[in-house]
Amino acid sequence: MRRRVVPAAFLAVAALAALAGCGSDAGSGGKTEITFWDTNAGPSRTPIWQHAIAEFERANPTIKVKYVGIPIAQAPQKLDTAIAGGGVPDVADVSTSGLANLVAQKALDPVDDRISKNPALTGKFNEALLTTVRNVVPDGKTYIVPLSTNAGAFWYRKDWFKEAGLEPPKTWSEFFTVVDKLTKPSENRFGFTIRGGAGSIAQMLEVVYGQSGITEFFDAAGKATINDPRNVTALEKYAGLYKKNTPEADLQNDYVKMVAQFDTAGSIAVMQHNLGSYQDHIKALGPDKVASFSVPKSDSGTQAVLSNPVGGVGVFSAGENKEAAFKLAEFFASKDIDGYIADKTGVIPANTDVQGTQAAHIVEAQRVLNDPATKVVQMPYHLPEFNEITKTWAEPLFQKVLLGELTAKDFLDQLAAKLTEAQAGYKERHG
Amino acid sequence: MLIAPSLIAMLGFLVYPMGSVIYYSLQHYNVAKPWDNGFAGLENFRTLLFEDPLFWQSLGFSVRWVVVEVVLQLLLGLALALIVNESFVGRALSRALVFSPWAVSGVLTTAIWVLLYNPFTGMSRYLADMGLMEYGAAPLANPDTVFWAAVLAELWRGVPFFAILLLADLQSVSKDLYEAAAVDGASRMRRFLHITLPHLRDAIILSTLLRSVWEFNNVDLLYTLTGGGPAHQTTTLPLYVAQQAAQSHNFGYATALTTVAFLILTFFSIVYLRLSKFGAKS
Repeated sequence: MRRRVVPAAFLAVAALAALAGCGSDAGSGGKTEITFWDTNAGPSRTPIWQHAIAEFERANPTIKVKYVGIPIAQAPQKLDTAIAGGGVPDVADVSTSGLANLVAQKALDPVDDRISKNPALTGKFNEALLTTVRNVVPDGKTYIVPLSTNAGAFWYRKDWFKEAGLEPPKTWSEFFTVVDKLTKPSENRFGFTIRGGAGSIAQMLEVVYGQSGITEFFDAAGKATINDPRNVTALEKYAGLYKKNTPEADLQNDYVKMVAQFDTAGSIAVMQHNLGSYQDHIKALGPDKVASFSVPKSDSGTQAVLSNPVGGVGVFSAGENKEAAFKLAEFFASKDIDGYIADKTGVIPANTDVQGTQAAHIVEAQRVLNDPATKVVQMPYHLPEFNEITKTWAEPLFQKVLLGELTAKDFLDQLAAKLTEAQAGYKERHG
Repeated sequence: MLIAPSLIAMLGFLVYPMGSVIYYSLQHYNVAKPWDNGFAGLENFRTLLFEDPLFWQSLGFSVRWVVVEVVLQLLLGLALALIVNESFVGRALSRALVFSPWAVSGVLTTAIWVLLYNPFTGMSRYLADMGLMEYGAAPLANPDTVFWAAVLAELWRGVPFFAILLLADLQSVSKDLYEAAAVDGASRMRRFLHITLPHLRDAIILSTLLRSVWEFNNVDLLYTLTGGGPAHQTTTLPLYVAQQAAQSHNFGYATALTTVAFLILTFFSIVYLRLSKFGAKS
């Protein structure tokens, strides 16, 4: 009997030891180990985070950070699954576009106290960015340490514009004219590429509100403005580009396919995205062939741009090493590291101590955002249903609009009804 | 005691997951809307049956997908099995080539076909260079071609399944039967209809049933090839479930859809086996 008990006990102890090794705090060599999820991993961003983590570990030799890269398309699902089933990271990069959903699930710890007690960060963040971070959650607390923000950008082929004697468009009328002139399907050249697949709605909204010059997403009564007749006309013009000035394949375009057409295939004159794709374009085409212009002005002269998500890092409530996790989040937001991340990813840093980069696309984006005449249309990232409405529900219907199977008006009427209902529910729950 | 391990395994791997699915199908459970979570009764089922056109559309597409795929895979797989069952020089290499797509993973198969269909690097680019197509044409983005483009990709992967199974069964047919029929003056077609086909009967019934269930539940190829698009045109019922669960986080509704799909497949399997008289002596 004793012979059987001893091996069994040994196995049990070994199994417990092995299981204990799965925890995030069972660091090697007495170090505290924490996990960081990069929710937009890829060849251009992963090395940037890895460098920042290496710097952190050098500055904090008792903490080891395990980097986990997750492609952006899978990130919301992985986070939700981890929150529901356990296994959340200690820290993750989180943007305001997904923040309301995480906070609704009580997944993150507020960082207000940490920021206020850290002299290196107190008063160092761009106020507009902090306001955006606080506005997307009902309790007005800060749930991410902000790192950067983005801006809509239209990347264009400088060489093609020069060849055709064209200037980057300043208004939407000029935009449609330029796109038309650069379209030569018989030569495999298209003036524009529409994002018709995953992620299409944010880009569509930017074009629609940019053209109409409408500056509020909801009116005073809480009704969505997306189906305003001026927006309907704007969508009709935008959808009219499909197959006339764009490849047929655009119907299924996500970011990867869109950027492959622009950078690798070299068949596109203008590609709408944001500042974040800078590195991809420069690597593929080089600085002589590519540049960006900002969202054109409406024909009435209004420059309306969409509020872009603020990127940052959040600390998870279920994490077991909060102190180390907060340290990592604060380190990423420090002047040097935030400046490094913003510079390498081509976005606008949140830390105001960071010396401004002289890259032309950042200078232009900051000019537009700092211009008092610019109207920023605040996207309703505070609605937890916003992602579901704009992705699962709206993306296939937008494809129907491109195919001519659904009118722009019907689509926007339905979208407005969904958004108005979500906003009313939000008001009811939070006052 | 002897059956305890089997019983525990069944409880753990069959009863618990199925019970869990049925439990959540009776709940409102959406992680993005925690304020709405709670007992739903049969509301999820009422919604999918009477208020959700996408349920019926995806179910209809699933049936069309299964019928077209299984019939074409069976016919082509049978033809290939008959060919590589003959004696000829290079038979071993031919068999290896016929079976090789089966060894390729679903996602890799999709990657191959995505590249082939890519308008800038794939077949259509070369056809456009030759003036046979317009530049930028994309079979997967065109509602008129997307179905058959996806069918072709799945056929490439699925035909070897039938070819392997049917070839294995063909090799057990006694040569004496063919010789006797030939002596009696039976043509090649008559030998196929009266000897080969009856012999393959049970293998065909079983393989078509397995493949039907497999194709009905197919998610990987369509998810990565078309994402169910454009405009839901290639959304099967399991793909719709995946979208509801993974994208909308609406797990309550997704499990109700799963329960209905499970019932449909169970009913289909029972009826199919009954009608086909699987295992009965011909």
